[in-house]
Amino acid sequence: MIDRERWVRTMHFQRVDHVPDEEFGYWTDTLTAWHQQGLPAHVLNDPQADRYFGFARREHVPLHLGLIPSFEYRVLEETDQHRVVIDNAGVTCLIKKDGTSSIPKYLKFPIQTRDDWAWFKERLNSHDPRRHPANWDELKAQWATRDYPLGVSVGSLFGWLRDWMGFEHITVTCIDDPDWVHEMMEHLTEFILTIIDQAVREVDLDFASFWEDMCFNMGPMISPAMFKEFMVPRYKRITDFLRAHGVDVIYVDCDGNINELVELWLEGGVNCMFPLEIQSGSDPIPMREQYGNQVLLMGGVDKTKLIEGKAAIRREIDRIAPLVAAGGYIPHVDHRCPPDVTFENYRYYLKTKREAFGIPEPVREER
Amino acid sequence: MADFDAIANNLIAGQAPKVKALVEQAVQEGTHVGDILQQGLIKGMSVIGQRFKNNECYVPEVLIAARAMKAGMEIIRPLLAEAHVEPVGTVVIGTVKGDLHDIGKNLVAMMLEGAGFQVVDLGVDVSPQQFIDAAKQHGAQIIGMSALLTTTMTSMKTTIEAIKASGLEGQVRTIIGGAPVTQAYAEEVGADGYARDAASAADKAKELLAA
Repeated sequence: MIDRERWVRTMHFQRVDHVPDEEFGYWTDTLTAWHQQGLPAHVLNDPQADRYFGFARREHVPLHLGLIPSFEYRVLEETDQHRVVIDNAGVTCLIKKDGTSSIPKYLKFPIQTRDDWAWFKERLNSHDPRRHPANWDELKAQWATRDYPLGVSVGSLFGWLRDWMGFEHITVTCIDDPDWVHEMMEHLTEFILTIIDQAVREVDLDFASFWEDMCFNMGPMISPAMFKEFMVPRYKRITDFLRAHGVDVIYVDCDGNINELVELWLEGGVNCMFPLEIQSGSDPIPMREQYGNQVLLMGGVDKTKLIEGKAAIRREIDRIAPLVAAGGYIPHVDHRCPPDVTFENYRYYLKTKREAFGIPEPVREER
Repeated sequence: MADFDAIANNLIAGQAPKVKALVEQAVQEGTHVGDILQQGLIKGMSVIGQRFKNNECYVPEVLIAARAMKAGMEIIRPLLAEAHVEPVGTVVIGTVKGDLHDIGKNLVAMMLEGAGFQVVDLGVDVSPQQFIDAAKQHGAQIIGMSALLTTTMTSMKTTIEAIKASGLEGQVRTIIGGAPVTQAYAEEVGADGYARDAASAADKAKELLAA
């Protein structure tokens, strides 16, 4: 069975030889720490780690859904431990200089007023030719005979706005100026639909992926009622277009406790939840019990069990085994692997997972 | 006669201008500012806190309520000292060393202020010594620590150990919270309290003060 067939069949509850062998990725300082624990020094990033560990290939059509042009990255000030920078999204933020992972402290966002939005959205021109690869026909020909799943990113409605406006501003604006939120999300919906149009019509895609990251450990950043008002109808327009062209696996990347939003994502046509952070309460097992085969799942292996040790890893694999057997679920660590997971524990986790689910030890090759 | 219920209800609804006007009116009528604070502003925020804890309201509602609280506080803050109204207690709060994330910490600070605490917010990437120095300087009864990552929450242990070594043990209680933090971890590192959300942090702070 080739990777593509295995992935598609898994996501349609059909019999497979084994579940796809996928993982989310790593913090930068995880790989740095693992270099001292046996990981070869040439493995410096997620794609290289994927090849080193031998994971199954899965790719996205290389469409450009970002800002064009992006903002120029500039260092505004520097101390012994920190830098204040303007990043490529125009956000002024404080970052650490030592390279260890942390979400930055955000100091100023590019969109503060409607006037800001008016000039900012010029960078969201969906008709810019740079949004599509120049060698489109060549890529299409390659994709026609691919053996791996290929999908399309369908961006974000809330997550992007949060990144550009700040958490507090976008959430408060949902109450203070709902018309403006509608206006911005409408622009994003049209922006996404326009950019993905050609790929969805011309390529036989296997999945589509949203990114939102709009939940924290207690639940969503906005109320389900707001989510339903602002987002569900727009998700529906995007997912209806995707389904009309055969794309019926549509996942959303959302950290934190997503439980209150799952039903609404399903209503909007988003049918796969990822990465299912266990410590936040997003557990694939009760989610499947509640929503049955309506919901597809990716992730859901508690990263803290990999920190804890081998016995905990074995128990965690045992915990998810019935769900893997049921299908519609690709198990992997519930976010990027943090550096407090040892290289030894990570390798033990992969070995245990592969043995438990009949995944053959991969042939490690450069690609 | 001040309408405390109106102050509380408008705060709950996030109506900052109305809260400000009602508080101004109450002050002009000669209402004791301690009563305005307790029976109006804190009462309203406690309802918001409870609803937030129960997922009956969400961050946007908390933020606009906190904004309304702030509008009311701006009127009465200068008057509290002369009326001999003391804060419920003083909390030094910050995101621990190595961690720059501050959304959760900011929500906790809002909830603590809404519960009547004086909050000394040290910001992010706060060293154990900064927590200790601030607690001594402000006579804090509680130190609150936040962390987002499993790698940075270990700074909570370092900070708690430093607090114990500093001579503040017994005078200052510690509360920890953040996405990867659990009650078990709080017990493991010797924290006096754990809060799973911002509203619970305010409740825990009151509980520790009363203990």
